[in-house]
Amino acid sequence: MAQSNFRYLTAALRYFFAIVLVVAALLLSVAFQKPFGNPSWFLFPAAILATTWLFGTGPGWFAVCISTLVVQYFLIPPFRTWILQPRDIPYFVTFVVCELVANRVIAWRIRTETALKEAHDQLERRVAERTADLDQANHALRNQMAEQLRTEEALQAARTELARVVRITTVGELATSIAHEVNQPLAAVVANADACVSWLTLQDPNVSEAQAAALRAVEGATRASEVIARIRSLITKGTPERLEVDINNVIEETITLTRGQMVRNDVSLSLALDARIPHVFGDRIQLQQVILNLIVNAIEAMASITGRERRLEIRSQFEPHSGIRVSVQDAGVGIAEELIPRLFDPFFTTRTQGIGMGLAISHSIVEAHGGRLWAESKVNQGTLFQLTLPIQEDFTHETC
Amino acid sequence: MKPADPIVLIVDDDQMVREGIRSLVRSIGLRALTFASATEFLSAKLPDVPRCLVLDVRMPGQSGLDLHRQLKEAQNEIPTVFITGHGDIPMTVRAMKQGAIEFLTKPVRGQDLLDAVQSALDRDRVLRREHSEFESIRKRFQSLTPRETEVLNLVVAGLLNKQIADQLGTSELTVKTHRAHVMEKTQADSLASLVRMAERLKRGSRN
Repeated sequence: MAQSNFRYLTAALRYFFAIVLVVAALLLSVAFQKPFGNPSWFLFPAAILATTWLFGTGPGWFAVCISTLVVQYFLIPPFRTWILQPRDIPYFVTFVVCELVANRVIAWRIRTETALKEAHDQLERRVAERTADLDQANHALRNQMAEQLRTEEALQAARTELARVVRITTVGELATSIAHEVNQPLAAVVANADACVSWLTLQDPNVSEAQAAALRAVEGATRASEVIARIRSLITKGTPERLEVDINNVIEETITLTRGQMVRNDVSLSLALDARIPHVFGDRIQLQQVILNLIVNAIEAMASITGRERRLEIRSQFEPHSGIRVSVQDAGVGIAEELIPRLFDPFFTTRTQGIGMGLAISHSIVEAHGGRLWAESKVNQGTLFQLTLPIQEDFTHETC
Repeated sequence: MKPADPIVLIVDDDQMVREGIRSLVRSIGLRALTFASATEFLSAKLPDVPRCLVLDVRMPGQSGLDLHRQLKEAQNEIPTVFITGHGDIPMTVRAMKQGAIEFLTKPVRGQDLLDAVQSALDRDRVLRREHSEFESIRKRFQSLTPRETEVLNLVVAGLLNKQIADQLGTSELTVKTHRAHVMEKTQADSLASLVRMAERLKRGSRN
């Protein structure tokens, strides 16, 4: 409000303006007295009103006082005397009441307005304070979130590394089997290369036989390098990827890495892959790690079995509602029912040389792919591990 | 190729190794047959010619060592060259005790394999000759009459004609006649060779 600014003028000035207004009222009243005859004091309440409004309560009261004196002295007959005749008393009282009313009304108005303003200011202050608080909280929250994100990233990196270490451990456990897997194609290379040379060193060289042998040698060498590439991809560092993965292909590749182990342990494999299954989105190496882990566990579980076939059944199925299901069934020693809930706990192992991370990692990998991994077992009959993977890309983007 | 040409039997579960060995063996003019498993080998009808077996130790299903033992137990021994991805000492010892010709580790050098195959085939030729000798001895001995057999047994036991006659309750002359028949029928040119043949039959095995 513009006029309220005047209230903050220095006290002397405000009282001076009170006098000015009262004097102005007097001059105007005197001026009006000439054309209209009767002296009139109605301008004084206006002056008081204006003073109180413009310059505050103090100058207002001061205006009331001087107006009273001025009116009594100048405008109530006998003029220019301090004498108040009894017949003028009601008139004078009315005037004073008017003055007081004018003064009080405005004072009340000002008080209300001030209170309102204060309330408003307080509200503003509070809003500002609250806003500041909120800002602070927001900032803290943002820091916390950043911190959490960093922690999660660190956790993720740790998990990825752990998964890799477990992979390397598994690959290490399979070292003999893998050596066989590399050696076998090399044996083919050597035999075929020798045959090739032999055909060529005949008195009458047989080029077509030599060529066939050379081609087989090339094929063998390619196979050996593929096995090596597969192992390398299993043990190298890499950030998890989200790509189309053909689970059947993953299963087949994993079997080539473990075939030696199966033969050594006299395990017969029955493979039933559903050719209709669509690709899933995920990290190929991680999924291969899961399958590898399940196969190695199954072979281990059957190592001490005698008197029945050591049969390993691997199956993939397409289930329109749940997605893809992979099952790995062994005919091994089985797992006691009370141990099954702990099966996927870290560091839980029933093997003597296992570190107990394989299944824990596998479980988190499958969950990160939006799937499920669980086990059913009958002691002395075998264990069935099953996993499902969704086909749509609606899994969480968290990986391990 | 003549039907009597030697044949190399190859049992290995790895197709490329199988093909490689087959090609190698064929390049030196030998015949070869390949089998992917012990079962496939056992169900095959094999030609009756000098042969040897190139056998992978580690195979799915029945292992090479098991197959070899089974053949030996069935009196159907085939000289065998074992090949293996990783030959540990106990396995090698077992194989050699079972009568393996050679125990080679993959990847096998072509010349080593061919040498082993040749010596296995030589071994089989010897075995077959001994076997056929044995069979002919058996046939000749079977042609003896029961009386002649009795005389033979006593002769081989080292008895003199007189002692034999006493034991059989006949004359020495009769024994002499029987004895002459025995020598003739068994084609023994001396008492020593008759004893050797009789001993060999008694042992009852191919060698």
